[in-house]
Amino acid sequence: MPNLTINGQSYFADAPPDTPLLWVIREDLRLTGTKYGCGVGLCGSCTVHIDGHAVRSCAVTVGSVEGALITTIEGLSPTGLHPVQQAWIEHQVPQCGYCQSGQIMQAAALLSQNSNLSEQQIVDGMNGNLCRCATYSRIVGAVRRAAEIMNRAAEITHEGASHG
Amino acid sequence: MVRSTGSATTRREFLIRSAATAAGAFLSIGLPALGSIAAAQPMAGFTPSIWFTLTPDGKVTMHIVKAEMGQHIGTALAQIIAEELEVKWEDVRLDSPLESVENFAIYGLAYTVNSGSVTTEFDRLSRAGAAGRIALIEAGAQVLGAKESDCTASNSRVTESVSGRSVSYGEIIQKVKIDRKFAYPEDFKTIKLKASGTYNIVGKSMPALDIPTKVTGQAKYGIDVFLPNMVYGAVVIPRTRYGSRVVSIDDSEARNIPGFVRAVKVDDSIGKCTGWVVALAERFPAAVKAAQALKVQVDPGPYAGIDTSVLFEEYSQTIKNDAAGANWVLEGDIDKSLAGAEKVLEIEYTTDMVCHATMEPLNATVHVVDGAWHVYTGTQSTSFARMTLTAYLSKVLGQKPEEIKIYVHESVLGGGFGGKQDYDEILAAAYCAKEVGRPVKLIQTRESTFATSFPRTPTYHKLKAGLKNGQLVAMDHDICCGWMGPRFSVGKKYGTDWLQLDSWDAKKEDIDQWSIGGSDHWYDIENRRVRAFDSDRTTWAVQASALRTVSNSYNMFVVESFMDEVAHALNRDPLEFRLALLNGKGSARGIPNAGYEPGTPSDYYMDRLWISLPWPNDNSWPMYQSTTVGGALRLANCLRVAAGRAGWRAKKLSPNTGMGIAVSSAEERQSPTWVAGIAEVTVDPQAGTYKINRLTIAMDPGTVINPLNAKSQIQGAALWGLSQVMAERLTLKAGAFEQSNFHDYSPIRLADVPPIDVELIDSGHHPSGVGEPASTVVAPAVANAIYDAVGVRVRHMPITAEAVLAGLRKKT
Repeated sequence: MPNLTINGQSYFADAPPDTPLLWVIREDLRLTGTKYGCGVGLCGSCTVHIDGHAVRSCAVTVGSVEGALITTIEGLSPTGLHPVQQAWIEHQVPQCGYCQSGQIMQAAALLSQNSNLSEQQIVDGMNGNLCRCATYSRIVGAVRRAAEIMNRAAEITHEGASHG
Repeated sequence: MVRSTGSATTRREFLIRSAATAAGAFLSIGLPALGSIAAAQPMAGFTPSIWFTLTPDGKVTMHIVKAEMGQHIGTALAQIIAEELEVKWEDVRLDSPLESVENFAIYGLAYTVNSGSVTTEFDRLSRAGAAGRIALIEAGAQVLGAKESDCTASNSRVTESVSGRSVSYGEIIQKVKIDRKFAYPEDFKTIKLKASGTYNIVGKSMPALDIPTKVTGQAKYGIDVFLPNMVYGAVVIPRTRYGSRVVSIDDSEARNIPGFVRAVKVDDSIGKCTGWVVALAERFPAAVKAAQALKVQVDPGPYAGIDTSVLFEEYSQTIKNDAAGANWVLEGDIDKSLAGAEKVLEIEYTTDMVCHATMEPLNATVHVVDGAWHVYTGTQSTSFARMTLTAYLSKVLGQKPEEIKIYVHESVLGGGFGGKQDYDEILAAAYCAKEVGRPVKLIQTRESTFATSFPRTPTYHKLKAGLKNGQLVAMDHDICCGWMGPRFSVGKKYGTDWLQLDSWDAKKEDIDQWSIGGSDHWYDIENRRVRAFDSDRTTWAVQASALRTVSNSYNMFVVESFMDEVAHALNRDPLEFRLALLNGKGSARGIPNAGYEPGTPSDYYMDRLWISLPWPNDNSWPMYQSTTVGGALRLANCLRVAAGRAGWRAKKLSPNTGMGIAVSSAEERQSPTWVAGIAEVTVDPQAGTYKINRLTIAMDPGTVINPLNAKSQIQGAALWGLSQVMAERLTLKAGAFEQSNFHDYSPIRLADVPPIDVELIDSGHHPSGVGEPASTVVAPAVANAIYDAVGVRVRHMPITAEAVLAGLRKKT
């Protein structure tokens, strides 16, 4: 019975070790923000963070992520206002919204590694996430905006630290 | 504590009262007196029409009957009501009524299609909001001890203008019992609505009310439903798309899978879910494994030998038989004008199948409680879902339809695009729930979603143009494809013609307008004919259905490619040529003063539209048809705007780069949204690949409700169109679809997305839909741009690099 750490909480997954992580997250833990789209890592709707990296949860088994720190959309921010989420609202990105948890998790992981992404880096980083409503133009704008919010927050923290 | 109305009983009591209203009596307003407010008693609230409820806390809940599938329709409809009700936007909430026999009698048909929601609801919701405002001003005046005529309403308050004293809506309904009746339709008709240009909420980019939960993962889709003791179902991929029959099931291997419950052969006696076997298990992954482990013997049925190529071959033969065609458009004398032309162009086009591939795979959960069937799903029509399930269960259970109680609980949809108006998952889940005696959550895997999808039909077109004196004097268009109507038993031969237009000629033949529409374009051409040929075999073999803009999505590719070819044949500039024909004359005048006489198709259509409540039969009312005001002149205006912004024949272009134009008036002839698109494309002459540098879209949807969202819809629709021309193709092989997941059916992704310049023209006319029409101009604009760039004409959609390369080689 694999022991999982998801959004800071510990769970024993009552599922065979070869069960895709996605289904344990969705059906057992009822964290339904993580979506099933293709089941084979082609669409990105099921993206979660594993040790800070964006991973397709349909393509990893629960047995393989024991001991790892797993974050789902529900655990991205205690207020639901992570800079990426703020930017997504400001730019009114979602249409049907089904892929957007995955888009947001992908963008958040991307920006956590580098918040000064070039246009091409944004496209490369987000290209694996399919959006059938084609909200793509707004996704690019919102990723840029999220970077701005994060960098601004970092500046403020830095100023606070140097002056205080 | 004051509570909003939430209990089903309260709602139903009100709704039953309003049912009489809907039938034509009164819109009644009833409120409990102040004394009746008690903490333990849910407030009935102020519900002056069935469309919203004002509660004593001052909040207004708008009851949205339209499906939320990404178009943010709830927000748009709420803006329309809020504008006239003069309610503060922050006080607005949304809910969606449960679908049942009772609620159907109140709200009418819950069906979201055709980019028609704002168009059909705008006038009636505006009036409903205004009626509420009038009643609140009267009651507010009473509370303030003021004259009604001295009071105005805004921001959820009634104010006496001289003194400035005011009272909130919430306080008003706590203090005064309102008993105001509006005669329907007389009083409704005389309500004076605000004029375009004086709006405060309509025309503003209010943030969509459904977005906040969509960025936190809290939004609940059909696939997110859980019920106690439920079992999961996965569909064994049927041998053919349609018509196979299960002979036997061997579950010996499946029984070794932990959690496997049983295999169910789904009753397919009404011709739905043919050849379906569902594997039930305690967990979904186990159900999927079991579905793969089941050995199902089938009789593959009548369509097992069919490939897409077989269908195309059939079409090209069918179209040779004049007697098989029915006239859809007939103006002037086509035979005589073609015979008298100096030159006749004859060109064929074809388009492949595409499917919806919504991000949320098809799914449904069914639970039987006290003999009532509860369905949880995201569907474009909770009403048709209920009716279809009623017919099915009636057959399966041998009960009378009226004995079957069904409730459909709608959730938000993870994409629709026309792909969620079939109900196979619901039927199968219900059948399994009956068999296993537990709630069943049936989730189609991506693979079975593809295998059982309801695609856009393949199509074949033959067009003729008669050219004389440098003009297009005759246009003849024959279309052969699978018609979707017969699948829904729509058509005179099925005894139901409520969605069918009579054809324009005296024969009054039976034509599936949803498979032909768009060919009845707005160009002024003296002699025109469109003939419709159907392929019944296609209808059933592929289960042809509606896909975003329905037939416009292929007919505009064909018509606009053809217009471009004609322009070049006449040595005329494609822009100038189109503008000359978009003159707003003849049948392209629009309504009022259109070319139609009373009793001809537009009126006929209006009567049968899915307007869910009866409208008075009175032509002075602003109605659906009024989106045609201005006719083709509005389309010409869009074209000029797009051409100007794109720099048509003005911008310096790189080598092998060209621009292509297209216009469209999707959805229907009676409900046009005027749109023009220009694509700038660079072709790689070595590889045949092409890159879209820029898309320019200009759209006039009349009154714009929410500009930011409208632009979002237009951008998405434009990319939907781009995906169809560049990337999407569904094919049938031996009666089954060949594609199974996003590796072999791969819509465009972020890297394929060009800059999109959207110009939204708010012309102040009655609003029409913005969710779909932009998708129709992109494919022909790209085709025309490729021709402009390298002189290669591709007459098939999608346009592959191979086809472009073949054209380039043929040239040299």
